Amino acid sequence: MSIWEDKNTLAGKFWSNTVVEDCPIYDMHGHMGSLNTIYFKRDSASEMVAHMRRAGVKRLVFSHHHALFDANLRNAEVHKICLGYPEELRMYVAVNPHYPSHIKEDLRLFDSWRPYAVGLKILADYHRVKVSDRKYEYALSFANERRLPVLFHTWGGSSQSGYEELRKVAERYPDLIIFAGHSIYGDWDNAVKLVKESPGKVYLELTAIPGVNGVIEQLVENAGSESLLLGSDLPWFDEFQVIGGVLSSKISDEDKRNIFYRNVEKLFGKNW
Amino acid sequence: MKELFFYDPMCSVGNDFLGKRSSSTPGELLAEMDFYGIDKALVQYNNLAGAGAVYANKWIADFISSDTSDRLRGVWCLLPEQCGELPDDLFSAMSEKKICALTLDPFDHRWVAGKYSIGKIMAEAAERKIPVLMNYYNRKWEELYRFVETFPDNRLFIHDTTRHGTDRLVRPLLEYFPNVYYMLTAYWVPEGIRDLAVLYGADRLLYASCFPTYNHGSMMFALKNSGLDMASIAKIAGVNMQNLLEESWGK
Ligand SMILES: [Zn+2]
Repeated sequence: MSIWEDKNTLAGKFWSNTVVEDCPIYDMHGHMGSLNTIYFKRDSASEMVAHMRRAGVKRLVFSHHHALFDANLRNAEVHKICLGYPEELRMYVAVNPHYPSHIKEDLRLFDSWRPYAVGLKILADYHRVKVSDRKYEYALSFANERRLPVLFHTWGGSSQSGYEELRKVAERYPDLIIFAGHSIYGDWDNAVKLVKESPGKVYLELTAIPGVNGVIEQLVENAGSESLLLGSDLPWFDEFQVIGGVLSSKISDEDKRNIFYRNVEKLFGKNW
Repeated sequence: MKELFFYDPMCSVGNDFLGKRSSSTPGELLAEMDFYGIDKALVQYNNLAGAGAVYANKWIADFISSDTSDRLRGVWCLLPEQCGELPDDLFSAMSEKKICALTLDPFDHRWVAGKYSIGKIMAEAAERKIPVLMNYYNRKWEELYRFVETFPDNRLFIHDTTRHGTDRLVRPLLEYFPNVYYMLTAYWVPEGIRDLAVLYGADRLLYASCFPTYNHGSMMFALKNSGLDMASIAKIAGVNMQNLLEESWGK
């Protein structure tokens, strides 16, 4: 009997029901809007939320592509988008190190954007500024004081967002909650090391990993499922592919529940 | 009863020389397939780029001959016709050894794939409707476009493992070349499988895992939940692949 046929397992339940009531799914890494290098058909809030509802994804935390890759859409506009979907959407305030005045203006408004604004997003490789650079100091100090999560785009071997850079940030800001987007993709041993060096502070976020053979297994075994978060990069990746990638990994159902929702509820509570 | 029949055309076996491991025996691969409910698979050599086609083709023939389940079929790798590195009667050797599809890696094996190097083989493959897996053209879109233009009568299975939405690259080929089939391996565009099936027909899409890079399960779940009707899902999961092979090799 395959994993999908065994109705006593989470995989079997999802296969027959698509949405499993006692297993909500929080997607902690999304975007919105079009982007230069990639085809997206469904990148608007309404289309993304429709896809999430179909897949049983309860909530998505996103940063808008146009706030990250274009300096003309501001985070205040993104907050307005969230207001249209109070159940499904939460935002990371996009930080662009090339516009320090924007950072200050936006963070002054952060509290008025709660509960929709839950943290910050830093995209060092694309902005070509190392995460340890002083250009992020204002934003990271702000997050550190408030113990906010910051979702960093991280990638193995990157001089801007790799292990060495993140380690510096973890040391410099002791109260910062680091969401390592893509789990320092490919540099799995150092991703695990980062978690172990900063217990309770670093979460490995799984965007682009579910379905890649054996990686979730390796991270669960070495870092523990308590430090993993689900992410899709929606509108990049299909939620079913992402959920299917976790369900099809060779880990326990308890580990899968940690990834799907328990770790998030431990951080943010059930109502966030 | 099992709900869907899955045929995986893109599975690699054996360990490559840079440390990427895969199943070494049919038993290991079948256990992996059974874990997810994959019924049948086309298998090629995981170290084809490194070890070369001559060695890989023998390795795959041995692997298939040691499979007692009859659920596995092999893929052989092409080389230029002029060098005598392939069996003289390629197609009867394939039939005898349960090799049902071809692939080619002119980039690692240093030759130019075109009419002069493999024109005769490709003409016969087209006549026999034998699938040619274009997996070594992954990410090499300009080369792939040229190849498809050169051999429009061949059944070419294409894919892309970047995980980036590849519609800008794939759709023109699906529109203009009816013999191009798209293997879904790392096609992760939200609701995208349904869009492609509506535009080009479910007959043009094939479930495929790209094991051991990806596991078999995530795309199974994505396809099952693609939003297509069950008949279309069944086609993409395995019926198309089964039919395509029967058209070339019989039942
Ligand atoms: Zn992202």
